[in-house]
Amino acid sequence: MKTPQETSRVLTTKTNSPASLPDISGWTEFARCAEDAGIESVLLSFSRYEPDTMFVACAVGRATTKLKFIVAYRLGLMQPATFVQQVNTLSGLIQGRVALNIVAGSSTLEQRGYGDFLEHDERYARADEFLEICHSFWQRNGDVNFEGKYWRVERGKLLTPFLAPDRTAPEIYVSGHSEQAKALALARGSCYLRLIDTPQKLAPTVKYFRDRNIEVCLRLCVICRPSLAEAIEAAKHLLPDEEISRQERSILSGSDSHTLKQALAAADEVGWLDRNLWAGLVPHYGSSAITLLGSPQELADIFLEYKRIGVTQFIIAGWPKLEEMMIFGKEVLPLVRAAERQAK
Amino acid sequence: MLPKGGEVKPEGQQTPYEAARYRIMSTSSTSPAPRPDMEGWTYFAHRAEEAGIDSLLISFSRYEPDPLLVSCALGLATTKLKFIAAYRSGLAQPTTFVQQVNTAAALIGGRISINIVAGSSSEEQHGYGDFLLHDERYARAEEFLTVCHSFWSDEAEVNFAGDYYRVEQGKLATPFLAPDRKSPEIYISGHSEKSERLAYAQGSCWLRVIDTPEKLEPLVARARSWGIAVCLRLAIMCRPTRAEAFNEVRALLPADKGESTIALKDDSQMYSEKVTGDSFWLNENLWTGLVPHYGPVWTTLLGTPEELAAAFLRYKAIGVSEFIISGWPEVDEVVRFGREVVPLVRQAERLEAKTA
Repeated sequence: MKTPQETSRVLTTKTNSPASLPDISGWTEFARCAEDAGIESVLLSFSRYEPDTMFVACAVGRATTKLKFIVAYRLGLMQPATFVQQVNTLSGLIQGRVALNIVAGSSTLEQRGYGDFLEHDERYARADEFLEICHSFWQRNGDVNFEGKYWRVERGKLLTPFLAPDRTAPEIYVSGHSEQAKALALARGSCYLRLIDTPQKLAPTVKYFRDRNIEVCLRLCVICRPSLAEAIEAAKHLLPDEEISRQERSILSGSDSHTLKQALAAADEVGWLDRNLWAGLVPHYGSSAITLLGSPQELADIFLEYKRIGVTQFIIAGWPKLEEMMIFGKEVLPLVRAAERQAK
Repeated sequence: MLPKGGEVKPEGQQTPYEAARYRIMSTSSTSPAPRPDMEGWTYFAHRAEEAGIDSLLISFSRYEPDPLLVSCALGLATTKLKFIAAYRSGLAQPTTFVQQVNTAAALIGGRISINIVAGSSSEEQHGYGDFLLHDERYARAEEFLTVCHSFWSDEAEVNFAGDYYRVEQGKLATPFLAPDRKSPEIYISGHSEKSERLAYAQGSCWLRVIDTPEKLEPLVARARSWGIAVCLRLAIMCRPTRAEAFNEVRALLPADKGESTIALKDDSQMYSEKVTGDSFWLNENLWTGLVPHYGPVWTTLLGTPEELAAAFLRYKAIGVSEFIISGWPEVDEVVRFGREVVPLVRQAERLEAKTA
């Protein structure tokens, strides 16, 4: 069991952090447990502190049979044709179990280290062109020709197709809270990915996307314990010491992500978004750390409430991830499935 | 050389002629070549390991899967073999490229090298979004590799401002991990002066098509004097007699003399060097008859096991240290090479070591 400090984001940015090295045996164990827990996909995050997500998906995908991988990728770091060739190759190596989480980039500083000097809004304009080209390749409707502001392709052709039992192109998750991110999800995505908020706040946004045939996926953390009080107790233990907090804050303040700014504001202003939803860990663990706490029955009811407003997918994390996922698979998911069967 | 998707037939024999037909058809839309073929590749990789082969080249083109990911998948299915992944510089940011190479290295015990190709067809490059001309592609490749080497060196942060790339406070946490190296071996291929110079400046090995030892000797000496290794690409046809080897290889000429896999490589010096002379013989054992149809890397060394062993030793004597070898079909020829040629070469090397 790791201490809260060991799972802090600060430590993954240290040069001696093991986060920079692939951990095939650990990941494979996690992936197999996820399959057993009834999880459909896992998200692989992208940053300069971690191994490349496409290759991690390849390695873990070769070691598993059911699990899908949502590969986070920053657009603009390679030519769209090269990107499609890699994604298609990966699909052929792991039976099509790959989806993409498109991130336009969350830190200008980090982007510059990748040779990308565009600002936030322009990165979205470029991502829009990028995905248009990708979709043209996936349509396999003759040569690809494109001339835009950021990309130009002439008689593009790739013979390796996207190979999956049921699709000819990967699912595209577009994440972000800015208006540009929403527009990109609508125009080029199959699913809009955002942070969890209360069902009341999210209902109009979810409806907006569902009316336009785009799914909605929420990111959250869960802490499930026999009672809400015990879950809150466990959450409080995750607050790191002051020094780590200070460093976390300084990393987060370098970001130009709207998602993060909104999540931090929630943490600072209200803390508790409703009875079970707490933003108190965001300043320490990043924007995806808005946490749903409660007993198995409470959590099951809450997931069903999100389902009622139209949310179809959830990307869930915990501390530690493996243990919380096992609890989720054993305690929460069976209640959700039972309620779904009863509703039919 | 790693065969293409669907090229290896683990069950059942394939004649050299069938293998050659496969190659001619490999860029057509009905070929299985674009599809990853883990079964055939793994079978081939194990035969190559048994034959004593050190590395496999995995080629890059729009007709095939991405070689870096193929290296990763195949590396996970093997334990000894190394992979030389061909890559076109200019299609990804150097930071992204290094992150991918380092990740692949960490996943497969560092068994990955890179063959940088500056691009051989302007039409194919345009399809990838690259509109630079031949010479500029080399200038860009030089910058690309400079940035890569900065990431692989121990510099705390990478800063670079050039004509083609700009990186500010670049940092990658995942290092290149190998038992004996902190960066991959870089093979630079090409016949132009630009490629030779790029190899000296940024590479560890210059890769070119085989020629006669006499012709290559001064070029190899020059490369070696600059501290880089030389690797030759060739095809082999090994048979009990030279006549049998020649008959077999001549039978691979397509019936339709116009058939060719190389029409599109308009922007490559290697491909524009015309085969001249009345015969296709460069010397007694080196035949270029297949080149107009299959490309320069199918310059073929043919003969008996003894003749081939002697030829390889002759290249070794002038300073060549590596060879990338193809055959028809790839898997049969690698098995035969391991069984009949390699032991003769190793025996001669031991004998030489004793007398030295």
